[in-house]
Amino acid sequence: MRQTEGRVPVFSHEVVPDHLRTKPDPEVEEQEKQLTTDAARIGADAAQKQIQSLNKMCSNLLEKISKEERESESGGLRPNKQTFNPADTNALVAAVAFGKGLSNWRPSGSSGPGQPGQPGAGTILAGSSGLQQVQMAGAPSQQQPMLSGVQMAQAGQPGKMPSGIKTNIKSASMHPYQR
Amino acid sequence: MVTTTYHKAGSVLDHSLESLIHRLRGLCDNMEPETFLDHEMVFLLKGQQASPFVLRARRSMDRAGTPWHLRYLGQPEMGDKNRHALVRNCVDIATSENLTDFLMEMGFRMDHEFVAKGHLFRKGIMKIMVYKIFRILVPGNTESTEALSLSYLVELSVVAPAGQDMVSDDMRNFAEQLKPLVHLEKIDPKRLM
Repeated sequence: MRQTEGRVPVFSHEVVPDHLRTKPDPEVEEQEKQLTTDAARIGADAAQKQIQSLNKMCSNLLEKISKEERESESGGLRPNKQTFNPADTNALVAAVAFGKGLSNWRPSGSSGPGQPGQPGAGTILAGSSGLQQVQMAGAPSQQQPMLSGVQMAQAGQPGKMPSGIKTNIKSASMHPYQR
Repeated sequence: MVTTTYHKAGSVLDHSLESLIHRLRGLCDNMEPETFLDHEMVFLLKGQQASPFVLRARRSMDRAGTPWHLRYLGQPEMGDKNRHALVRNCVDIATSENLTDFLMEMGFRMDHEFVAKGHLFRKGIMKIMVYKIFRILVPGNTESTEALSLSYLVELSVVAPAGQDMVSDDMRNFAEQLKPLVHLEKIDPKRLM
């Protein structure tokens, strides 16, 4: 009684067959005997062929299932996949690093990527890099600190080319005062 | 005192901001989520040399009484190409409110300014900022602003004494945790000029 934690009140002849059984039930034993005789009857080759076809069918099924899963997953994920836009990353880093896109007199709404303004932003960038080349060529010829006119030209747009030239002229006229 | 800053950047679209904030709250130190609204002005001093001297002045617009923050950022160190973060010298100084007047008197001129509004997280010595950049439409008027893009900038930075390369490894591991939501990488601003 103590050993079984109170579950077996009396260790009698009724309890023994149930608790101490090691052989399977008689019905199960019969079925197992039948299966083994059937298996022996077929012969080794036929058994091998059956094994192979079973494996093939299983792997086909597995492939089909995994393909289905993958297709449905990607279909569900695709609209949500875009959590960041690399062009935005570059634009934001450039803005913080040297003020690209932050000039105060640039027309608003021109630097939003993913908007219809995307081609416009591309041309503005191309134009501003061209302007920078113009400015760099002009810089060595003037040797004095420039005021806000220069900064405006550096961050300008194609439409501001004329004002870039104007600031060059302005600096030239300052020469007499500085000398 | 000259320190070194290690920097990685990425961005996240507006609609994914909430997921990113949730993930960061889980990953980062358990603090109250901190928001900030800062106004940054970048000043240039043009000298005889071709490249001007750049100083960044930053002030808090939502916390009255905090000092202004003046920062100098050096050129990126062209060291180990495999290093995962952008490494630059930096000098950080707290100043009083008459900083802009002082800089103008010294000959600096303001090149550009912007407003940054966002969230700040910390994990050990790493600082993670997620903020939106606003263009200031009328110079000096921080009320009239306009968002620069449909994304928030995500910056992971560490300010540490020089030569600690383990820092960039820690940053890389942290950046891995934020994928695929945000892709943090070392971005050299000069390549974007």
